[in-house]
Amino acid sequence: MASIHDLGGSPGARSSIEKSQHETEDWERLADAVTVALDKKGIKTTDEHRRAQESLKPELYKSLGYYERWVVATEILLVEKGILTHEEIDRKATELEEKWG
Amino acid sequence: MSETYNGHDHPHEETRTGAESALYASRIRAIEALLVERGILTKEEVRRQIEYMEARSPANGAKLVARAWTDPEFKARLLSDTKAAARELGIDASGPVEFLTVENTPEVHNLIVCTLCSCYPRAILGRPPDWYKSFAYRSRAVSEPRAVMREFGLELPMDVTVAVHDSSADVRYMVLPMRPPGAEGMDEEELARLVTRNSLIGVSVPLEPGLAG
Repeated sequence: MASIHDLGGSPGARSSIEKSQHETEDWERLADAVTVALDKKGIKTTDEHRRAQESLKPELYKSLGYYERWVVATEILLVEKGILTHEEIDRKATELEEKWG
Repeated sequence: MSETYNGHDHPHEETRTGAESALYASRIRAIEALLVERGILTKEEVRRQIEYMEARSPANGAKLVARAWTDPEFKARLLSDTKAAARELGIDASGPVEFLTVENTPEVHNLIVCTLCSCYPRAILGRPPDWYKSFAYRSRAVSEPRAVMREFGLELPMDVTVAVHDSSADVRYMVLPMRPPGAEGMDEEELARLVTRNSLIGVSVPLEPGLAG
């Protein structure tokens, strides 16, 4: 049985193709750069990143935007490898929000 | 697993902004800050990686195609070793990812997709367009490629074989489209302007002279 990410020929995704393009946002550039920089340093691989995305619950996978999935997958891998914890990312996110508003 | 979603319910999954994305924006900033604090990444490495991606665009693919149209020996090298051919034109596509250039002919038209995620020849063409990452394209490119191309304005004769290439983390494809009719006397720079991003993916063909901007 195909998993959620395995969309080839999937009858559930038969809509016409939406061709509008959104302007890449700074946080998307950052998500892209951090993820690929970690690859280049040998801390994680592209395959692991895809596996992490594929491990998401179907409802979550479908509801997230493209770079949102990247962020989630990068976080999963960093926690899995014992480099960061969800809690310290929570704390840092709150700290940065308070600092920058 | 049953397929429960309908693409119409999420037509803009790549274009959402606002509150939902703010959560992830905040998360990646926190991750970056922590990685820098721990000495795992430097700010400089992140900045360089952003610059690396910003420097890549379909113009690189257009340059490669225009050279291949005018230089048969270069074309042979592009088809046999895309990374080395790119290097000749100053395009750095080095790294572990393999690149394959697939040539359109009067008999075969090539189309590129990544059904599993969004693998794309990023080191040459930059980030993929939003539609390339859409669930609809990923699903339909392999099951009804002609209908997909029709949505991009390309109606292929039925006697042309369509070859769909499903990219992976390890192998990325780029299409070498056919030189359009009427482009015989043009130089490389003029030819490059005919080569659109969509023609490098295969959902369309290059512009015809006179239509190029």
